[in-house]
Amino acid sequence: MRECESGDMSVKQLPVGHPLSSPELANHALLYMWRIRKFEEAVEELFGRGMMHGTMHLSIGQEASPTGVCMALSIKDQITSTHRGHGHCIAKGADLTRMIAELLGKKIGYCGGRGGSMHIADVETGNLGANGVVAGGIPIAAGAALASKMMRTGTVVVSFFGDGAMNEGAFHEAANLAAIWRLPMILFCENNRYGMSSSTAKAFAIDNLADRSKGYGIPGINVDGNDVVAVYEVAHAAVSRAKSGQGPTLIVADTYRWKGHSRSDKNLYRTKEEIEQWRAKDPIPRFITSSLKAGLLTQEQCDAIQREATAAVKSAVNESLRAEPADPLHLLEAVFKVNTP
Amino acid sequence: MSFKYPVVMPKMSMTMEAGELIGFHVKVGDKVKRGDVLFEVMTDKIDMEVEAPEDGVIESLIEKPGAKVEVGNPVLVMVTETEVMVFDFGSAEVQSKTTPAETGLSPQQKKIDATTPIQLPPVPAVLQSESVKAVPKARATAAKNGVDLRTVTPTGPDHTITMKDLLQVSPDPKFIKRKEANRALVARGIELSRGIAQTTFTRKVIADFDQATFIASWASVLRGKSNLESNPYIGVALIVESRYGSALPVFRDPDLCHHDVLRTLVAATIERAKHGKVPVAMLTGATTTLFDLSLFSMGTATPLLFPNQATSVTIGRDHERTKVVSLTIDLNSYDFYDGVALLDSLVAALSQSSN
Amino acid sequence: MSNNRMLTMAEAIREAMSIALDERPEVFLLGEDVGIYGGAFGVSGDMYHRYGAERVLDTPISELGIVGAAVGAALSGMRPIVEIQFSDFTAQAMDQIANQAAKIHFMLGGALHVPMVLRTPQGSGTGAAAQHSQNLEIWFASVPGLKVVVPSNPADAKGLLLAAIDDPNPVIFLEHKLLYKSPGIDPVPEGSTRIPLGVSKIVREGGDVTIVATGIMVSRSYQACKTIATEGISVELIDPRTITPLDMKPIFESVEKTGRLIVVQEGPAHAGFINEVIAQVTGSPSFGSLIAPIRRLAGLNIPIPYAPQLEHAAVPQVEDIEAAVRKIVADWQ
Repeated sequence: MRECESGDMSVKQLPVGHPLSSPELANHALLYMWRIRKFEEAVEELFGRGMMHGTMHLSIGQEASPTGVCMALSIKDQITSTHRGHGHCIAKGADLTRMIAELLGKKIGYCGGRGGSMHIADVETGNLGANGVVAGGIPIAAGAALASKMMRTGTVVVSFFGDGAMNEGAFHEAANLAAIWRLPMILFCENNRYGMSSSTAKAFAIDNLADRSKGYGIPGINVDGNDVVAVYEVAHAAVSRAKSGQGPTLIVADTYRWKGHSRSDKNLYRTKEEIEQWRAKDPIPRFITSSLKAGLLTQEQCDAIQREATAAVKSAVNESLRAEPADPLHLLEAVFKVNTP
Repeated sequence: MSFKYPVVMPKMSMTMEAGELIGFHVKVGDKVKRGDVLFEVMTDKIDMEVEAPEDGVIESLIEKPGAKVEVGNPVLVMVTETEVMVFDFGSAEVQSKTTPAETGLSPQQKKIDATTPIQLPPVPAVLQSESVKAVPKARATAAKNGVDLRTVTPTGPDHTITMKDLLQVSPDPKFIKRKEANRALVARGIELSRGIAQTTFTRKVIADFDQATFIASWASVLRGKSNLESNPYIGVALIVESRYGSALPVFRDPDLCHHDVLRTLVAATIERAKHGKVPVAMLTGATTTLFDLSLFSMGTATPLLFPNQATSVTIGRDHERTKVVSLTIDLNSYDFYDGVALLDSLVAALSQSSN
Repeated sequence: MSNNRMLTMAEAIREAMSIALDERPEVFLLGEDVGIYGGAFGVSGDMYHRYGAERVLDTPISELGIVGAAVGAALSGMRPIVEIQFSDFTAQAMDQIANQAAKIHFMLGGALHVPMVLRTPQGSGTGAAAQHSQNLEIWFASVPGLKVVVPSNPADAKGLLLAAIDDPNPVIFLEHKLLYKSPGIDPVPEGSTRIPLGVSKIVREGGDVTIVATGIMVSRSYQACKTIATEGISVELIDPRTITPLDMKPIFESVEKTGRLIVVQEGPAHAGFINEVIAQVTGSPSFGSLIAPIRRLAGLNIPIPYAPQLEHAAVPQVEDIEAAVRKIVADWQ
């Protein structure tokens, strides 16, 4: 089914379980948060040099949510993601080289250069795709959950979306369908307080976004989105609910976006104090502290993990820069899938 | 090995096209380390410090503080020993164009430079029939039979000539005769050509060039290699398709005249040839023939040898900028090595001319 | 094997869906009122009782949600048929149709595809007025990544729908409200035969004029042809059947034969599908065979009005088609 070649095609199941239950899991949690952080920093640099076309949406500071959630999922479970989706993609196990290659418009990119940052999908790790339309992925996730129920695969689907999506009709319709059909689905809202420039204080008449769950008859859970352990725990509970046929859960994770909405943001709508306050809640140092305290990792190991992540990202960037650009030769044949006889 | 690395105005947002250089943190000759701040830039949305990508030395400052610089344009140049990834450093200096006529010619050859523009008979103004309205099929049929649409009475709506109207007018017998004669001539030529011992070589060339350049380049290649005692001049015939069939105007010593003059002459001649009005003086004297198939989006065809000519060239379109050049030689006049050398020289001349 | 089995369009579509649900466990139907009620136009009929609630899903009024769910289910290995009650309401679901379903295969470099069919009735003549009577094939035809099918009779509807369900891409299947109860002219073959997408049909052969028509205009043109034939004019009638992919070959050949072309559609002329046919003919070698300007018959550029005489005047009728044929032959010999 893949049209493009890639390097290592072997996709293995990532560790699943509570981040503080073993050294291996603590290692994984920290490594993946660092991988996301370093990846986003590298993308920022590439864009700044004019080497990347279009625009991009960074999630620096929001690494704990995707990492915590994906540690509660198996490789067969699926996710849908947003325009700010690099973190979800990486946490679910995507190949860093193919991601960067996609952003650079190369042939080996996940979409062969045809999709770009906002449309990366990775079928083998259960990623049904990032979405450039706010709330576009939520009904799709409901459909995938419907299929899971019909095909009795026992898998769950997590739909990641932001606070802005909760005011889209698509969220409402999908949440209702998931509720009435008891779909094995998790509606995971990363509430970073701003949909582009409109703050949640101005876009919602309620204070707690999770209260909306009552309107659908499903549970609504709040969690500190920058605490990877807390995120794992609520995600795990929601996954169990879904797998036991009790239907969907709405989780609202409080987090924050360090950088602007996208590169052209002027941060007009936030104060410097606000940004600094949240920097102090950086999920990575928080988890390091927890791991050290629990005796699961040493400081040297933590430093080594950071270096490992940096090296992985750097290698991905270099390999992608050297890779062949996508060529327009086969665009017309790429629109429709042709049945193989 | 040293690399010159221009540090450019960075792209800081999707729609950004230019930024302002606020100021430099370095001067010429400074040694910098990777990550050192080189200069500061801003747009209406963002301020940013631009860092050195690698260790190196500042070679030159291109822009001045306060300048507005387009995204991707260099602000300073540094020299580094490390290869800094893959970049297109932009155009080298533009090379001055040298026309074949300016390359070394012997005094005797220079004397032959007698190609003054030939006085050509005036061409009728745009054929009147283009302002007549006719249904598409009538127009096509009229052209085929040489019927002047001005002689047809329109009875269709809005004074449009219908097929029925066209059929009231019989085709011009003289026109049909001339077209037939042309066709017979070409057929005879092909037959004669078959009797000559010949062989064809083909090369691809990536270049852009117009027909005047094509003509002049080939002439200059031939001049360099042919035996000028047998032929006092070089006559390049260019095959042009006209309403009557093929026309073959001949350009004498095209490489010896000024290129702009040649260009004008070629364009004017082709225009007249399309209407079947090639001046008699240009109908004889061909020593070689060119056929540009790329006008028909064709790839290749084996060039035909015309009577009393030792060479023939076709140019076809491969794709985009790649063209296919084929050369046929009369083996009585040239041997294989000559043929290869001629074609290689032509390809070289065409490549050079398009830079 | 020919038989005289005449089915209405609704029956033919129901038969195709039933065959598909029998043949493939991953096919299912979802939509508003398709289950217990049997479908707003009676198309799904007794399918709910035959296949159960697991395969014939009644949904709330949530076009965007249910089309999105169809997309998600299709991505995960199912083959949903989603019915939207009126084509006009596809507007509610446009993000999932045009931005998601149509583009996923291309944007994702072929990693995923969306094998779904969206069936919906369109067209005017039932007095349902402006918001329930549109012809919207051009909306979908203008989005690369969607296949668009416009069946004009029951036999074609069955064969084309089976092919659409087989197709691994999103297919928009536009039925006509007025044709649901109509048995058409040809019998409907039994069994599981498909009509491939992207093949135009020569409904009637002729030598004087070519008519290209879609949807309900095919049967109206056919009626017109029969009357005109008694006046000594022979018309060749071509039904493209699918708008994307569009099979122009028989149209070019016909134009070269007759030299006169009339294109007919129900939807408004401005920026409609017929203009694609005209543009292609004009830009092709068959242009040189034209002995008359190309004529188009289409709906007025107005929303569909309510009163019957107004509704009648808003779109081409049989007598309009007859008049156009007579005129083109008289004016352009």
